[in-house]
Parts: sequence; structure tokens; C-alpha cells
Amino acid sequence: MNLHTALVKIEKEKISSEKAKKFISSEKNGAESIFIGRVRNENSGKKVTAVTYDAHDQAVIKSFQSICNDAKNKFDKNAKIFLEHAKGYAPVGEISILIAVGSGHRDEAFKICRYILEEVKHQSPIWKKEHYIDGKEEWLPGYSLRPKEEIK
Amino acid sequence: MEIQLKLYGSSKILSDKDTLNIQLPNNSNIEKVRDILTKIISEKYSKSNLENLPKTAAFFSEKDVVVNDNYKLKDKESISIIPPIGGG
Repeated sequence: MNLHTALVKIEKEKISSEKAKKFISSEKNGAESIFIGRVRNENSGKKVTAVTYDAHDQAVIKSFQSICNDAKNKFDKNAKIFLEHAKGYAPVGEISILIAVGSGHRDEAFKICRYILEEVKHQSPIWKKEHYIDGKEEWLPGYSLRPKEEIK
Repeated sequence: MEIQLKLYGSSKILSDKDTLNIQLPNNSNIEKVRDILTKIISEKYSKSNLENLPKTAAFFSEKDVVVNDNYKLKDKESISIIPPIGGG
């Protein structure tokens, strides 16, 4: 098994870098690349206390698998890939996304990691609402999936 | 006819539930849904920063694939509104 993808209900379970390292571990790896995204305490000058992630679960999992398979076909068919994203209420410091890649060489490991991150941001139906220290909250703008030819 | 719109992201402001039922003329398409949403937002949610949502949202069919504006809706069909995404 070379691929693991999941949405993690963050109020019930944590995203674990140890689990990711274990999954990608292999004597065939010459390189392991791990990207960890976390909820940070500031955005555009506003003090953030937490982020709520919403997701279209089935479509997210389909997109994760498609993105990871594309990455393998593009860079290294034998790469081992672990991808998890948070869903639900995540306080500052919580892991929001973890991508771990085991590959024969560093170049492929770095490229796969970066490719997956950018494609998740542009393909996977996930939304984030920031919660601020003053009690306000706001859904953040994002990337439209509407067919481009229809946007006038 | 009536359709059910599953709400995600910022569109959840449009209802206390996770879905919104919308009345439409028979043989309506996605473009008509955009028109109705524009009306609902201008009448009830003008202060909620949703004014661009009808233009920028995509819609998923029941098969979770993006459908275009000409997609013809069936009575009781359930579709998802997909506001601009931004995970990671």
C-alpha cells in the first residue's frame, strides 16, 4: 500500500506526524519529505484564535486520491504518499494539513510534496472560517471551481 | 419544482440547516439557481459579504462532479453549492 489519504475530524482525533513517518518508511527511500501546515495566530493583521474547516467529504477524498496518483505518475510511480487534512474546529497551533512523501531521491520527494499542496488548494472542496480574538468570524475567500468560460 | 441545495463553506450562512430547499419553475437549470440565490442574498443577506457567491460558486451534481449553467435540474434533485475553495 503506497497511498493513504484522509479527512480527520480534528475534535476527535489528531493528525499525527509519527503515523505519517511510519507509513512512508521504506528501505527503498533515499529521501523523505514532510510538509506540516498549522493554524497560525495572525492573518492580515487580525489575531486568529482558531479555524473551522468545512469539507465536501466524498469529493475531497476523490480529489486527494486523484492528486496523489497524478503526482506519482508525474514524478515517481513508486513514491509512498500520506495526506491528511483537518475537518472541524482547529485552534491555533493545530495541524491543518500533513503531506509526507517517501521517494528514491530528494528532488522527487520535494516536488511531490509541493505539487500535492498546491493542487489541494486548487482542487479539493475545503473551506476555512477564521475565528478572531474579538469574537468575530469570517469565511476566507478562495479559488473558484466554476468553469472559467462561464465567469464573465 | 423543488430542489435541495447542500450548503458548504460561506453558503452555510443561508440556512440554520446544512441544506436549503429552493422552489424553481419546471425545467430550470443552474443559471436559474444562480438568479434565485442572487435574489435571496440581496433581500435577506445583503450585509453578509455573500453578494459574489452566486457568480463565483460552482455546483456539484449528485455524482459530485461540477455541472455547468445549462445543466437541467429534476424535481427533488439534490445538488451541492461549492463556494470558492481554500484548504491547506
